[in-house]
Amino acid sequence: MDSLTASQARDHIEMVDRILSRSERSLHVGGEFFLAWGLFSTAVTLTAQLVVDRRIPANSLWVLPVLLAAAIAFSAIRGRQLGKCKDGLSLIQREFFAVLWISLGVAMFTDMVAYRIFTTWASSAIWTVAAAVVLFFIASHGNRRALACGIILLGSLAAANLLPAFTGYALAAGMLFGYAGFGLISLIARD
Amino acid sequence: MLSKIRLGVIAELLNAEWVAFSDLHQATQATHGNLGAHLAKLVEAGYVAEEKVFVNRRPQTRYRLTKAGRSAFVQHVRDMQRLLKGESA
Repeated sequence: MDSLTASQARDHIEMVDRILSRSERSLHVGGEFFLAWGLFSTAVTLTAQLVVDRRIPANSLWVLPVLLAAAIAFSAIRGRQLGKCKDGLSLIQREFFAVLWISLGVAMFTDMVAYRIFTTWASSAIWTVAAAVVLFFIASHGNRRALACGIILLGSLAAANLLPAFTGYALAAGMLFGYAGFGLISLIARD
Repeated sequence: MLSKIRLGVIAELLNAEWVAFSDLHQATQATHGNLGAHLAKLVEAGYVAEEKVFVNRRPQTRYRLTKAGRSAFVQHVRDMQRLLKGESA
């Protein structure tokens, strides 16, 4: 430390602060993805439950592929915009998006190819598990909001299991408050 | 660790797993030669681990912070904060 002046030390600490705060801030970038996919998952599960309860006709399910296409299109367009961002993606951001896409990709793949194994509510529960993995990954970087929202998701899973008559409502509430809610909070916190 | 580029590299590696040379180059804005020399010193000191891998059939050199590097970084930041406190006292 003898060869470092106070002015240099201040300059170095400021640089370290900048780099670390950029890493922290980068985890808020995905807010819109959480919101979009959280709302999509909520809509899917809620629609299914309402059909099961005969509150809406079964042909209402046609809206789900439309919503899925909208969520995929939004993610692709927004992901492309972020990729073209002047500063590019930070290191932690890349790691975060890798976990996000792998978790959601595995959930979607499982839903599509193992539909006989994961029937009805199990199919929705897979998305809850994938979403919880993503949130706990973010929580591992010191984000307490992600930890709280991850716990909400796991809580909804337990509630869905214990309340057979309200399984869909419990899972939908988990995705709405845990996943879409985290997206909304992240978007607000970014500003 | 006294060099600004070396400190910047360690700060970039702090929250990541393996980081490619090209990413560090983009983050630090140092020249290839300069960054390479600083990374070699960090590897030699045992603060950073180096690995050569193939990504899409292209060779890539990537780096990760070691436990010794993390400890040295924390100690260095503490030393700098102490220096600043001493100056303001």
